[in-house]
Amino acid sequence: MDRHFDEELQNVKKKLMDMAAMVEESITKSLNALRNKDLKMANEIRELDHKIDLMEIAVEDMCVELIARHQPVGSDLRFLVGAIKMNNDLERMGDHAVNIADCIKYVIEASAIGQIMNIWAMAKIVTEMLRDSVQSFIDNDAPRAQKVCERDSAVDRMRDETIRILLTHMLEEPEIIGSAIQYMLVAKNLERIADLSTNICEDVIYITQARVIKHHAENKKA
Amino acid sequence: MIIHTANLNLYYHKFQALKNVNVAIKRNLITGVIGPSGCGKSTLLRVFNRMNDLIEGIRITGSVLIDNDDIYSPMNDLILLRKKVGMVFQRPNAFPLSIFDNVAYGPRVWNISDKATLNEIVERSLLAVDLFDDLKDRLSDSALGLSAEKQQRLCIARLLAVEPEILLMDEPCSALDPIATGKIEELMIELKRKYTIVIVTHNMQQAARIADEVGFMLLGELVEFDTAKAIFTNPRDKRTFDYISGRFG
Repeated sequence: MDRHFDEELQNVKKKLMDMAAMVEESITKSLNALRNKDLKMANEIRELDHKIDLMEIAVEDMCVELIARHQPVGSDLRFLVGAIKMNNDLERMGDHAVNIADCIKYVIEASAIGQIMNIWAMAKIVTEMLRDSVQSFIDNDAPRAQKVCERDSAVDRMRDETIRILLTHMLEEPEIIGSAIQYMLVAKNLERIADLSTNICEDVIYITQARVIKHHAENKKA
Repeated sequence: MIIHTANLNLYYHKFQALKNVNVAIKRNLITGVIGPSGCGKSTLLRVFNRMNDLIEGIRITGSVLIDNDDIYSPMNDLILLRKKVGMVFQRPNAFPLSIFDNVAYGPRVWNISDKATLNEIVERSLLAVDLFDDLKDRLSDSALGLSAEKQQRLCIARLLAVEPEILLMDEPCSALDPIATGKIEELMIELKRKYTIVIVTHNMQQAARIADEVGFMLLGELVEFDTAKAIFTNPRDKRTFDYISGRFG
């Protein structure tokens, strides 16, 4: 029997997919803007973030209404709980894109620094993680989600490496400290986006398999 | 608004069953009326097609407008009202007739006797309640041989045959199991595209699932009337919150 409720759950999923697409656009734009030192694009990211914020409110509202009216259980309940968390994670990612865009102005003003290759390598992995996390949600694909989680520690290592490289540059050329600090912030924001992608994947595993893998919960139980 | 009451009071002798009820029911929505036993919700529903008229000692004040016509005006045509506003009851009340004759009963009362027209009405009505494919080869069988859920669907088809505007449903699923209840609920959601549905239910979850707007009644008073979303996520009146959260009733 097709339930009207299933249609409403699909509407939540569709809205989250639209939101994820906007977040991905925002992050990609912020990195392009940083690479090209494009302040105009930085402003566009702020406008995009406003739209993402409104979507967050709308999705949360839909989920709360469905929980109140349908008292979901089992996988329906897990889906709605996961959707609320994912909604929050996506909104935070939008904020990190804005944070990256905010660095651009200072990078332009400060003394130029040579290319920090690590940042772009990190950005590539982080955007792939985001894309894969959203795709695993769309396809209910727990194995794919698990692989995204496994990549998180690589991003952590890249952040540490980036900071170490930047510190070395700062010691050698104190005039680039201003720029270097901005790139450190970018690295930190990218690392947080990777964390949030990991959170989404943990939610996908919770929704599809009813397993809680965050904080190594399964190991602790054993 | 398709139904509109203003300062509606209803008395059984000295007992006041409805107290100053002001409600506006919108077209093509499902409006749920919830509340504990004896709160007046069925009485209110029965007001909308004058089912209370024959109860001894009944007295009604205030007005009830349907499509802007005062249905309690002496000029009102009761037969026409019952055609326009049909009712589904707690227990399916199929007539001891064939499936075909159950659905054709109303149109025949309205002097439709042409076989082709009746065939068309029966087919359309049974299609609307998703029974036609199941029953098309046994339309001459007795309706009483059908399951409770199918009998309830048949009763809805019987209403649809006379092309009403409003379907009043008084606990239409209380005699059905959860699966049959789910099917009737899905049917109601389908039917609201063409009809206005007012459902009285003691099953609050049912109202939450299917109603667009909900009224909460207590001791004859319409305590709160709002969208289902507002009632179940942010009721304004503490009595509504206490009822929907299971603190009483």
